[in-house]
Amino acid sequence: MPQAANPLAQGLGVRRQPDPCALVVFGASGDLTKRKLLPALYSLAFRGLLPKRFAVVGVARSEQTTRQFVTAMRQAVKQFARDPFRTDVFESLAAGMRYVSTDFADDGGEDSVGQTLDELDEARGTGGNRLHYLAVPPQAFPVVVREIGERREREGWARVIIEKPFGHDLASARELSASVKRWFAEDEIFRIDHYLGKETVQNLMALRFANGIFEPIWNRQMVDHVQITVAESMGIEGRAGYYEQAGVIRDIFQNHLLQLLALTAMEPPIDFSADAVRNEKVKVLRAMHTPGPKSVVRGQYGRGWVEGEEVLAYREEPGVDPRSLTDTYIAAKLYVDNWRWADTPFYVRAGKRLARRETTIAIQFKSAPHPPFESIAGDGLRPNVLLIHVQPDEGVSLAIGAKVPGAGMSIRTVHMDFLYGGAFREGVPEAYERLILDAMLGDATLFTREDEVEEQWKLVDAIVGAWGRDRPTFPDYAAGSWGPARADELLHRDGRSWRRH
Amino acid sequence: MGVVAEVERKLARQRCRQEADGDPELRTSTMTHVVWAPPKWLPRAKRVLAGLAERHPARTIFLVPVPGRKSGVEAEAVVQDFAIGDGREVLSEVIELRLSGEAARHPGSVVLPLLISDLPAYCRWRGRPDWNGQALDEIVDVCDRFVVDSNEWQGVPGAYDPLARLFDRAVVSDLAWRRGLPWRSALAERWPGIRTIERVSIEGPRADALLLAGWLRSRLRRKVSLTRRDAIALVGIAVDGDPVTPPARPALSGSDLLSAELDTLARDPIYEAAVRETAA
Repeated sequence: MPQAANPLAQGLGVRRQPDPCALVVFGASGDLTKRKLLPALYSLAFRGLLPKRFAVVGVARSEQTTRQFVTAMRQAVKQFARDPFRTDVFESLAAGMRYVSTDFADDGGEDSVGQTLDELDEARGTGGNRLHYLAVPPQAFPVVVREIGERREREGWARVIIEKPFGHDLASARELSASVKRWFAEDEIFRIDHYLGKETVQNLMALRFANGIFEPIWNRQMVDHVQITVAESMGIEGRAGYYEQAGVIRDIFQNHLLQLLALTAMEPPIDFSADAVRNEKVKVLRAMHTPGPKSVVRGQYGRGWVEGEEVLAYREEPGVDPRSLTDTYIAAKLYVDNWRWADTPFYVRAGKRLARRETTIAIQFKSAPHPPFESIAGDGLRPNVLLIHVQPDEGVSLAIGAKVPGAGMSIRTVHMDFLYGGAFREGVPEAYERLILDAMLGDATLFTREDEVEEQWKLVDAIVGAWGRDRPTFPDYAAGSWGPARADELLHRDGRSWRRH
Repeated sequence: MGVVAEVERKLARQRCRQEADGDPELRTSTMTHVVWAPPKWLPRAKRVLAGLAERHPARTIFLVPVPGRKSGVEAEAVVQDFAIGDGREVLSEVIELRLSGEAARHPGSVVLPLLISDLPAYCRWRGRPDWNGQALDEIVDVCDRFVVDSNEWQGVPGAYDPLARLFDRAVVSDLAWRRGLPWRSALAERWPGIRTIERVSIEGPRADALLLAGWLRSRLRRKVSLTRRDAIALVGIAVDGDPVTPPARPALSGSDLLSAELDTLARDPIYEAAVRETAA
């Protein structure tokens, strides 16, 4: 009998619990599993949000036993989980943990994964439901998906979570989509962009659509321009192989940055269902102009100082070509060509080895039309800025002009702050907790859909296509700075500047 | 100087002092939290607040009715700060008003000007209210949500009848009901087998047991007889003699229970039906 018919279940205020299932992590010996996935599972278990009948199967090439895997995961949970370690919680998780050492392309190895899952169905009652998490290098996606697809059980559901990057360009993304869709329907594919799982990114929707005061001013009439910054102070952290191929445009711009832009610019969805939200985001991506070469600045960091330490130039990083032309910085002026945003620039930037780690969305409003005290107010008359801090210091602040106490009419800009951690002391869940749970529940609202990914690649391909014709002088910014001077010029030409930090 | 101005002045002075310690501080509030706490309940109420205030930055107003015929209000106000990382602190305010004589019967006039505008006001009423008293009447009128623990009362189930009469005036919730949530979930998992039960045996506090039985009756729309063995917490339930597996979740502290109540604002029709059924 369906749960809705159960009168005792009504009003219990508990979240819908996922079906019994097994989570199969491909690439289980990697950093992502250790730092994010297992700690996220532990936090879900800590809060009783996992299904009662649940199992985790780690799959990777590294040779180790289940016992060794469990020991490593216990250590990872102790080190990286946001909740205190509780033996009973971890043991309940560990009881359903298995490890299979195999090459992804090895038929025999995949058969042993299947056998392990069948055994867990018996022992743990996971009911043939499988959530496959592909924490593997992109080139391994098609092989793993094929191996999973060929062994797909008739009973139970099967879903697949795919980590970014989903392709390298539009053509490869389509190719990858075709190979995945041979085995999985669109509603079984969960393309993860962990930014969408962040509380503050979801709060952007709450801010816009749960507060009547913002929507009427969220448009070209009131907004002068928008600035989106995704800045990292760290370098490539030993990922030269990946980064040399990707650059910041594929690593950050194509996914996180364009998703933040889409959420900022989208129309109100009719509801919070997966398709309603994603339909609106796709409309924004489709409405974006392809920026001309003068509207895009790319850069690469040289030597410099970050947080008091001297750091190497990108070209000096281990594994990087000493003549590399890979971009570690991008800034662009983008337009969303629709009724709401026509002629309103969205200045976006992302980069490695910048002055500090910061992800923000700044909505800069137009100046007051005619302040009566302009001549005596000093230089304090600045436009209002609504600043959404995605990370760190999650929250929202509004810059307003206020009178300085005393005689005269001096105005100074002050911030009204809403700090997430100040108002809500419950720990903010990690993005992966929310996303893994949603995937178990089959809710794809916070995952990217195929057409979104394609629109993102179309824009990236157009930008990268233009880069093929020039030969930049790299490095062009010092590590620890806010990027190349040309990025400042991009705004100065329009009589604007990047936000002060 | 009136008592409200005195409180505001004390708070302002302390805020300045706190800000002078060099750490950037935020004034963030999510509610006004009113606590009606007669002297014998006050230490316990303060212990709960100690585990709660960090989670719910608020202005907390303790209303302490003290004996004495002469009408008067004595006020204490302190600003508490809580570190939130990055060297920043959040400020919460705790006001203690000792009310005597007529003032204890008219707390509304002191509470109303101290409520933080535009934010919800919650009242945790310690002990059993005087259902016909003016104080209860005024507090219910100024608060959006009224939180009790019927396990603190003598005279249940009779007292549920006047409680039910408050349902149309404020959102009411009961920690005795909140404590039973894991057991209600466990019982719900027995559906549909549980549909025709006739008896429930509960080992636990009287109020918790009565509400659980009332819930079963109201949801299943049938008579369910209750037998109870006393215990300080809900430790066991059997339906028609068949024991229910105890919930795995650990028991919540007083702070956790109240914190959960402070996160919700809407009326709970399932709870209200259970109370009415229990009172019937």
